[in-house]
Amino acid sequence: MNPDVVLAIPTLVESGALPPAAAPRLLRIARGELVSVHAELRALLYAGVLLLTGGVGLLVRQNLDRIGPVAIATVLGLAAAAALAWVARVAPPFSWQEVASPNLAFDYILLLGILLVAADLAYCEVQLGLPASHRAWHLLIVAALAGLAAFRCDSRVAFSLSLTSFAAWRGVALADAATSRAWGAGAREDAAGAWRWNAIACGILFAGLGLALAHWRRKAHFEPVAVHLGCLLALGGIASGIADPAWGAALLLAGAALAGVAYRTRRFPLFAYGVVAAYAGLTRLLAGLFHDAALGCLWLGVSSALMIAGLLAVYRRMGQMGRMKEPA
Amino acid sequence: MTPALDLADRAAAVRAAARSWRRAGIIDDAALAAVESGFPDDRVRAGRVFRVLLFLFTVVAVSGVLGFLASGLGGHEQAQAALAAVAGVALLALTELQVGALRRRQGGTEAATSLLGIGLLLAAAAWFLLAARSMDAAAGVPALCALAAALAGAAAWRWGYPLYAALGTAAALVALAHLPAGRAVWIALALAAAPALLRLSESPRLPPAHRSSAMAVLLAALGGLYLAVHVGSWDERIVERIGGRDPGPASPAWLSSPSSPLSPHGSLPWWLAMAATALVPVLVLAAGLRRRRLPLLLAGAVAAVVSLATFQHYLRLEPAWLVLTGGGALWIAVVLGLWRYLDSGPAGERRGFTAAPLLTDARRQAALEVGVAVLTLQPEARGAGDEHPFEGGGGRSGGAGATGEF
Repeated sequence: MNPDVVLAIPTLVESGALPPAAAPRLLRIARGELVSVHAELRALLYAGVLLLTGGVGLLVRQNLDRIGPVAIATVLGLAAAAALAWVARVAPPFSWQEVASPNLAFDYILLLGILLVAADLAYCEVQLGLPASHRAWHLLIVAALAGLAAFRCDSRVAFSLSLTSFAAWRGVALADAATSRAWGAGAREDAAGAWRWNAIACGILFAGLGLALAHWRRKAHFEPVAVHLGCLLALGGIASGIADPAWGAALLLAGAALAGVAYRTRRFPLFAYGVVAAYAGLTRLLAGLFHDAALGCLWLGVSSALMIAGLLAVYRRMGQMGRMKEPA
Repeated sequence: MTPALDLADRAAAVRAAARSWRRAGIIDDAALAAVESGFPDDRVRAGRVFRVLLFLFTVVAVSGVLGFLASGLGGHEQAQAALAAVAGVALLALTELQVGALRRRQGGTEAATSLLGIGLLLAAAAWFLLAARSMDAAAGVPALCALAAALAGAAAWRWGYPLYAALGTAAALVALAHLPAGRAVWIALALAAAPALLRLSESPRLPPAHRSSAMAVLLAALGGLYLAVHVGSWDERIVERIGGRDPGPASPAWLSSPSSPLSPHGSLPWWLAMAATALVPVLVLAAGLRRRRLPLLLAGAVAAVVSLATFQHYLRLEPAWLVLTGGGALWIAVVLGLWRYLDSGPAGERRGFTAAPLLTDARRQAALEVGVAVLTLQPEARGAGDEHPFEGGGGRSGGAGATGEF
């Protein structure tokens, strides 16, 4: 409901800015007489998928002995097959370009199918030794499967699952960036170092994949997913070593480089990642010079004020006051 | 709000609508430009990303300067409280300057200074009441909450921040919980104010920000109402605990006697609370459907989920996997059925609702969905050489299937 738009529409029609034929429907929307619940239904579907797959996880864990491995694997496989069969039936023809989703449920039934396959694979890996390994190979298989499904069905959600599964296979999850896995000290330093390098490598790989997709115009609309996740992983990996000034310098350089590239290409979220990372890296480098807390506070106050001035100048320079100044 | 700010917000609403029409292909670039020149913007705004950055660095800058000044005062608490009070007033004045003379809106810095100003004034007041005057918490906390409600309410009224309206309402509810009949007051106030707030949230006479603030107050009040009547809150005496009182027995002693047929979970108030736990979500959903207001529908849906979880807890529905799996499958089926129902209506709509995206920003929605998926479906990573005995459990978020818990 938007009373101001209701009042404006007749004026806009009179001035010729708005086609008269469109006015009645837009008036209904502005008056709240026609309301879309598209986004809400999708959110509810997603919640349903989470509930169902959570229940499947519990089912497997709590009934392992009673039901038996073959029965569980079969049931999971059948459920996954049913979901994926529906997806295959309604999926539009493949294209390297963006394809409109055939219906509201498509993405989330696909996601449900992939998650059920993932559950089945993981279960088989452990219970039946398929494919037996000391590494969680099912994560790599899920990454590949989700990636294939993402490209075939043009699903960004499946693509993001593919990337996070691959990162998990390499021992990296964004959620770990704040845990001892990444920030470990003493006996855990080796593990933290492995985590860091894996995070950086995954980040570079994902960002590279995204740029390649955009360059070759193959599912170019997946690029933001890969680039954002890649930048976050790489910067998070570098930041996890910030206790060492050398990593602080690396964070400053990486952040400044990202902010510079993002500034030139007008990628504003990436610019924000870069600015925050560079500021954190610089502050870490200078932290050794401050011998009391008061100086540290003064640095934060003065440097942040300078950052504000700089950001306002950059904003004006980008010439975005018209196009960007007023997001919906 | 000043008349100039009111006009600026109204024009911004029209421009935002025009951009959504452009995205939907209803108007072309020339028409969008015509709308933007017909409803010009006289404010200094920042895009969403810059707004966040400016907010963040303003908070750090002010905190750093205050930390530096406070460290110069040593451990003198009275001087620090005075500094907080002076800085709070100065920051609120700075906010007024930015929103007024400097014409800033959605710029990040004015939101940061207003938030810090309110926070610092509350900190100074807390020191004055609890330390300087040695007031006990029972008297000091309600006074602080009342002050917080007044400050947040004034900020919402003057500068049009719906978040402050909601926070102010929550603070007022906490203050009211200290009254002897705090729970009853929560219920009575929400029921009495809801119709008026709903009307205000739709009133063309109010500025857009005040309409949003009225809805924010309504949602906070409904949250209070739900908490006041919720059976779990009744059992745990949550409102009384918020009010800082000894909760005491859940029901009168004669009802709570173990030998009584009306033992705690069988008492009349308990059953009334149980009925209200079921009824409130239904009423909120019904109001949302009747008035076609998405915030009410979302609030009702959230309350309904909480009520279902509550009943599952009290009725001890077992096994959990069946409840989750069955509930999830039923949930998906209901959503798909609702979608089919709406989609099959005349022109794809029924009773004013449609499953079509209409003027939705598809790019923004896609980005939001991917972001949520990345956050909630992160498989649990494993270190090299980890043993991975079968654990199940459905993923870190409770929903990622078996992506990493095995």
